Amino acid sequence: MCIILCIIFCIILCIIMCIIVITKMCIIMCIVLCIILSMATQELQINESLAHLKTESESLKTKLEEERAKLHDVELHQVAEKVEGLGQFVMKTRRTLKGHGNKVLCMDWCKDKRRIVSSSQDGKVIVWDAFTTNKEHAVTMPCTWVMACAYAPSGCAVACGGLDNKCSVYPLSLDKNENLAAKKKSVAMHTNYLSACSFTNSDMQILTSSGDGTCALWDVESGQLLQSFHGHAADVLCLDLAPSETGNTFVSGGCDKKANVWDMRSGQCIQSFETHESDINSVRYYPSGDAFASGSDDATCRLYDLRADREVAIYSKESIIFGVSSVDFSLSGRLLFGGYNDYTINVWDVLKGTRVSILFGHENRVSTLRVSPDGTAFCTGSWDHTLRVSSSFSFSLFSVISLSPEVLLTHCVFFFFFFLQIWA
Amino acid sequence: MDNGMSSKTHNANSILLARRTVLQLRTEASRERMKVSKASADLMNYCTEHAMADPLLVGFPTSDNPFKDKKPCTIL
Repeated sequence: MCIILCIIFCIILCIIMCIIVITKMCIIMCIVLCIILSMATQELQINESLAHLKTESESLKTKLEEERAKLHDVELHQVAEKVEGLGQFVMKTRRTLKGHGNKVLCMDWCKDKRRIVSSSQDGKVIVWDAFTTNKEHAVTMPCTWVMACAYAPSGCAVACGGLDNKCSVYPLSLDKNENLAAKKKSVAMHTNYLSACSFTNSDMQILTSSGDGTCALWDVESGQLLQSFHGHAADVLCLDLAPSETGNTFVSGGCDKKANVWDMRSGQCIQSFETHESDINSVRYYPSGDAFASGSDDATCRLYDLRADREVAIYSKESIIFGVSSVDFSLSGRLLFGGYNDYTINVWDVLKGTRVSILFGHENRVSTLRVSPDGTAFCTGSWDHTLRVSSSFSFSLFSVISLSPEVLLTHCVFFFFFFLQIWA
Repeated sequence: MDNGMSSKTHNANSILLARRTVLQLRTEASRERMKVSKASADLMNYCTEHAMADPLLVGFPTSDNPFKDKKPCTIL
């Protein structure tokens, strides 16, 4: 509007000047003046609208904070006071999977609850049988730092990727002698490293996140990009799909300290959470799909509720100063397992916000942690080249017979004093 | 001339980005939200409902444990 008025004003001025002094030079000068004036007003307009947009976005941000704060009537641990405490847990390592030649970077369980796929820095991707600790398949990727691997829901394929900026799908065959690398299918193409990948409910679609700041949904068969998700301002480090009952959303976390929830069909970012103080290394949905947990380099795990649209719990201790590399929930959602860079695994009571157990055993930082699909055990991969499968250690009388003699003796002594106290 | 063109595209990009942020914030601000007390109560209910079915939480007899140790037992 202003531009048009300006141009009209300039033209009128030119006509007046031309009437007074009719020379070619005058006319040319007038035209040049018109152009300069219109450009200047355009520039001014852009700056005005940019400033206007910035102030609007600031006011919207404060409004959003106010709305969120209004609903913050109580803390989760206050509501959870009615629930029974868990007491101390003992977790025991049941299996140690050795075979990787370098740091284990990622692992995933198969839906059959016994197979595990893991990838490492030396480019090897190995499929294990967790019960027997046998290696079933091994593939050597053409790149190092295979940071992402995933098992297909059918158990017939694995996907992996890393510094090659691609996600490749390898169909697994029962024939041990077959060269898996020959059947490789390149599915995703990013412009930077692949940080995480996950199959959706079927073998046909794969969701990837990358260091180029985007997530993408791909069709496995054709390798076509179905949807891309833009919104992170830095590398996206992790993603997790919502449990199937709750619909087509997924959450991603990145180096911009933000965790974004996306709609897979529209590609829109539905919600965004920015309370972490450092890179978010891992995100995992709560089993009901109404919340998700995140683990970050700021040494805290946080629980965000999607319906309350805010952070509802922080899991941290002053003595914990090393970052969290991966998090996962137990089947009921009561326990949150966190793998830390100080070589330990901390187990948190999700509702009360307290730590219930700490597991040692790894000799280097824990890089990946997943609970098995049936919730009986969890597997951790570490930079010490091994994977460990652990579960809770039960003290039931029925298990006493299967314990080793030393532990049996300590049990007997314990029960003796226990009964002594009761009778005294 | 080149500098002029690049500053124009830069301006156009920053306006596009700012507009996108404002739209995103508008949609976020208009969302329906639940009180934290209700949301927490739902999380708690889910936990208590599924607590019994959680092997890592309540444990289960070693005979059912697929990862049980294969140590030989000796009777004292």
